[in-house]
Amino acid sequence: MPSVILNDTILKGTLSQKDSITLDGTFIGNITAEEIIVKDHGTINGNLNASVNIEVNGNVVGDLNSDKIHLTSFAKVRGKLSHKNLSVDEGAQLEITAQTRKRISNLNKE
Amino acid sequence: MFFSSNKKVDNRIDGFSHLGEGASFEGEIHCKGEIEIAGKVKGNISAKTLRILEGGKVTGSVNAEKVEILGCMLGNTTSLNIHVGEKGVVRGDLRFETNLSVVEGADILGHVQKAKKDKNKKVDTDKVKYLEHSQKAS
Repeated sequence: MPSVILNDTILKGTLSQKDSITLDGTFIGNITAEEIIVKDHGTINGNLNASVNIEVNGNVVGDLNSDKIHLTSFAKVRGKLSHKNLSVDEGAQLEITAQTRKRISNLNKE
Repeated sequence: MFFSSNKKVDNRIDGFSHLGEGASFEGEIHCKGEIEIAGKVKGNISAKTLRILEGGKVTGSVNAEKVEILGCMLGNTTSLNIHVGEKGVVRGDLRFETNLSVVEGADILGHVQKAKKDKNKKVDTDKVKYLEHSQKAS
């Protein structure tokens, strides 16, 4: 079952999740999951590693690593991106270095 | 259960946080509202309402206003109200202030104590009640 972390919750530590995680709260630390969705109120300080998809509509400071990365219009991202497929919506505030990989997803390879 | 939690994804303002079965988390959790744990958590948790679901496992100490243990809890629990479900497993102390309920079949190994009411906490609950009331009123 997917995890949901709401606005009123602060997590500090390392999270690994087999399926999808939706974050609307504050997270300090690294996340590994199949799919990571950061909502408007979500604030992440740490690296995100997803095997399938990362969608950001909140604040992220840290590295993002996924096959597909989607930064929507309210995203504020600072860090390195490693992806196969990147899309950025109008209005996203970014301070990033992005790198496209050709290989199939492997979290340790870039 | 599954559907109800999916609904929470949509209206996330008055839902509660949920750590799914496939999740394993190491670290601290601070939750001002309600949180449900179906995965594994290592570390301390402070919350208003904590529910450890069947299959959920918490290792660490818990501080909350209301705790429901339907899964596995290793460590000390301090709360106003504690409920241990039929399949609840507790290894550690239970310290409660108001109510303790244990369903037949629960497995508890540890010290169980009714603690004296802490003045600070009482103020907190009054505040919460007031806030809830004013929310309802508006």
